[in-house]
Amino acid sequence: MGQDLIVAVTSAPTPAGLVPAAGARLLALVVAVALVAAAFVLAGAGGGTAGRELAFSLLLGGAFGVTLQRSRFCFYCITRDFIERRETEGLVAILVALAAGTLGYLALLGAMLPVPTGRLPPGAHIGPLSVALVAGAALFGVGMTVSGSCISAHFYRLGEGHWPSLLALLGAAVGFVLGFLTWNPLYLGLIQAAPVVWLPQHLGYGGTALVQLALLGGLATVVWRAGQRARVAAPAIARATTSALPPPGLWTLLSTRRWPPVAAGLIVGFIGVLAYLRVAPLGVTAELGSLARTGVAAAGWLPDRLQGLDSFAGCATVVKAALLSNNGVFVLGLVGGAFAAALNAGAFRVARAGAGKLARQFAGGVLMGWGGMTALGCTVGTLLSGISAGAASGWVFGAVCVLAIWLSLAIARRGWGVGRAD
Amino acid sequence: MSLRRRLARIGLALAALLSAPALAQHADFLVSTDWLEKNLDNPKLKVIEVSVNPGLFERGHIRGASNFSWHTDLVDTVSRDIASPQQFQALLARAGVNDDSTVVLYGDNNNWFAAWGAWVFDIYGVPNVKLLDGGRKKWEAEGRPLSNRVQVHAPGNAKVKTANAALRARLGDVLAVARQEKQAVLVDIRSADEYQGKVFAPSGVQELAVRAGHVPGAVNVPWGKLVAEDGTFKSAEELKAIYQAVGVDGSKPVITYCRIGERSSHSWFALSKLLGYDVRNYDGSWTEYGNSVGAPIANPAGTVWGKT
Repeated sequence: MGQDLIVAVTSAPTPAGLVPAAGARLLALVVAVALVAAAFVLAGAGGGTAGRELAFSLLLGGAFGVTLQRSRFCFYCITRDFIERRETEGLVAILVALAAGTLGYLALLGAMLPVPTGRLPPGAHIGPLSVALVAGAALFGVGMTVSGSCISAHFYRLGEGHWPSLLALLGAAVGFVLGFLTWNPLYLGLIQAAPVVWLPQHLGYGGTALVQLALLGGLATVVWRAGQRARVAAPAIARATTSALPPPGLWTLLSTRRWPPVAAGLIVGFIGVLAYLRVAPLGVTAELGSLARTGVAAAGWLPDRLQGLDSFAGCATVVKAALLSNNGVFVLGLVGGAFAAALNAGAFRVARAGAGKLARQFAGGVLMGWGGMTALGCTVGTLLSGISAGAASGWVFGAVCVLAIWLSLAIARRGWGVGRAD
Repeated sequence: MSLRRRLARIGLALAALLSAPALAQHADFLVSTDWLEKNLDNPKLKVIEVSVNPGLFERGHIRGASNFSWHTDLVDTVSRDIASPQQFQALLARAGVNDDSTVVLYGDNNNWFAAWGAWVFDIYGVPNVKLLDGGRKKWEAEGRPLSNRVQVHAPGNAKVKTANAALRARLGDVLAVARQEKQAVLVDIRSADEYQGKVFAPSGVQELAVRAGHVPGAVNVPWGKLVAEDGTFKSAEELKAIYQAVGVDGSKPVITYCRIGERSSHSWFALSKLLGYDVRNYDGSWTEYGNSVGAPIANPAGTVWGKT
């Protein structure tokens, strides 16, 4: 793999030498205008609430895409950078996003369900705690390592010109189908009787806020200290990134520099809260899974009934009845937003890839598809939206994912060639 | 003057003005979106949303409204029954319904589930219950404001009465009519395809009967015929004419049914409240009747179980 490829997909900041061509900036503007125009059309044509939700989803997807691209919010790359190089910026961004999401969700939930007993908040991604969740998260973690990104990052990297991500997404669709095929026995054996733990039911909203913020703060401290030790051990590397360049202008900061992790985390958390308030919790796999389900349902490959699946909130899939769904336009907006942001930053590169890399993209995608389907969501749907809502399932998914990445990388270091190319 | 009296007086005045007694029924049992928005601050008014889609109420509802979940609050899910008196009493208290309250129900899906709510309120003898004409759909279409802050009400003092069995048809009642042992007219409010037996149920629905078709002798008046484009009920004259055309004129008791009893509550409301006929809702509906051993059915489409 060429050095440029590694640069293009790492979570490291955009090299200072990257200056976008004027044509790229113009195209970025065209894409941004097209997204906004499409939102106006959807709001008008859809009629009533449905149209407004579609328009809102598209714009929110665009904002999410820009944020992910500008801050390199790639769950896998961030975790790998920390494990291998003790780079802490990305992980801090995730922890800030989870803290902001938690506070925002709990404030909202307190208005929606003043007394958190009895029923669960509508649509929130609170899943059953089962061995299937652990297995799904583990394979999702391995799949991220094999294919080089989680599903949301594949979407934003697609916008950066990383077309091999298409194979990962195709693989994920295949993985979803495998997930449908194994769903009924897993549901009946493991999931149906598994407890659904929503922390506010046990701790109240205030207690949940305290516990989650303490956990996130503790994690941030551990991460920060580990990073600090690494920086002390190799001070030259740390200083190299803060060389004595003239201070950048505001536009340069916004459009070509990597967004500061705390700002990125706050924005991601805020987008998550807005999405839950207006449409549904953030997630990026519902549409992909629904397309896969609709396709194979038409071919007659699915079991007649996926037991209990449609009764779960999460990145659940449905057989598609309408062309446009909220999640579908959200994902389109995400790719469009990332495309515009990458063009504008001069970070758009048509990726090069050999057969081996393409095969890894696809294989990792299959693992993520199965894992995401079985765990009812991915790093966005189950981890981000789940933890924000106070779901124990989100914490389990996150912990198992990180463990799986760590193990996969340890294996990869022994020369299996996995997890390296990206 | 209590709100109830004031409303009654307005209703009477309107009736006298237009000398159309049927309109008084509309005024007694329906409120317009405009009226509701203007009266939201009246402490005697209690607004309750009964929607079937979870998350709608929580994301935005008419200011001050309480939320009754059709799935859990208004039904006893284990025994497949309407909410028990204790359960319903607790609900009334939670929504702050007092003896002198006027209750306005509204919901999604053209008020189907709100009408179910009105039926349960009626069974337990709660007076002064009205539907928001056009439901949530019309309120939203008119761009009226929604709030997402849930108001916690001081517990209400309204007491449930003994369940009024005369509003509810049981399988035995329907069988007696099907076998022509009892005089009544059955109104099947499902789609023509369900009535004919071409389909078991609308697509995507999991609760089914093993047979398709309808109760022998039932007439088919899909619920959608009763409402205008904006979801509001048609005038009493129009409703009367629609039912008259299939031989339902109020001279015989009426029984309404659908698949699980919720859409038929909407027709029950029109027939019973707006036209003043003697009507029972059969909440067992086709999922009970169509599955019952020995129950005769009519199946014009020829898809009787065993021959498909």
